[in-house]
Amino acid sequence: MMERTVTIVPEAGLHARPASKLVETANEFESELQIATDGAEPVDARSMLAVSSMAAEQGEDVRLIADGPDAEAALDALEEVLSTPEGEYDDE
Amino acid sequence: MDKETVDRVISPDLVSLEEPPADKRAVIEHLLDLAVEAGRVSDREQALEDLLAREEETSTGVGKGIGIPHAKTAGAIEPTVAFTRSSDGVDFGAPDGKPATLLFMILVPEAGNSEHLEILSSLSRALMNDEVREDLHTADSPKEVTTVLTNAIT
Repeated sequence: MMERTVTIVPEAGLHARPASKLVETANEFESELQIATDGAEPVDARSMLAVSSMAAEQGEDVRLIADGPDAEAALDALEEVLSTPEGEYDDE
Repeated sequence: MDKETVDRVISPDLVSLEEPPADKRAVIEHLLDLAVEAGRVSDREQALEDLLAREEETSTGVGKGIGIPHAKTAGAIEPTVAFTRSSDGVDFGAPDGKPATLLFMILVPEAGNSEHLEILSSLSRALMNDEVREDLHTADSPKEVTTVLTNAIT
């Protein structure tokens, strides 16, 4: 199990495009991936419903928890989504 | 959210248990009309434009058969949640590919700061519970729907 704390960069916070990008990315990996705001219970990073429940805003720190064969790559990918300003996503 | 806030944003007149249209845009208009008829919308056209703009950005299907179109809009008078349910489901572009059978619309006025995100967050948290979703599917009156939601959110 690996953990990493990342600060949310996108202006919208974990909402709208950044949130769907995060969920989409999390679903590309085999590892169990969880995400939590400070002091809150971690939720499934592969569930849009769970991520919507977080109400995480720009500038907030979130804890990423990965467990599985590609944990490190998954954390790298999720960190990149959370650290990339909206509008700089390379798929658009 | 506390009970007072939940009672303020949702009431039985914002709930319709009639089968809604099966098309995403039509079901959004159907939910919006509930809010219009309940006297919570000052500018229907503006509210619709803002709801559809948000859908353009990313669709609001969140999985587990739930769609939550939402907008902060100058067309809304006060924070509002409307609800309907679809037996066949409506495609809301959910990551899990499941059509949405439980449909919520959230509208908050422009001055609402992050209130729409707080409502979205509280509602999402409540809907993660399997039992709450099941109770919403089986509720047989608008009043029962608001009771389920009030108990689940507060």
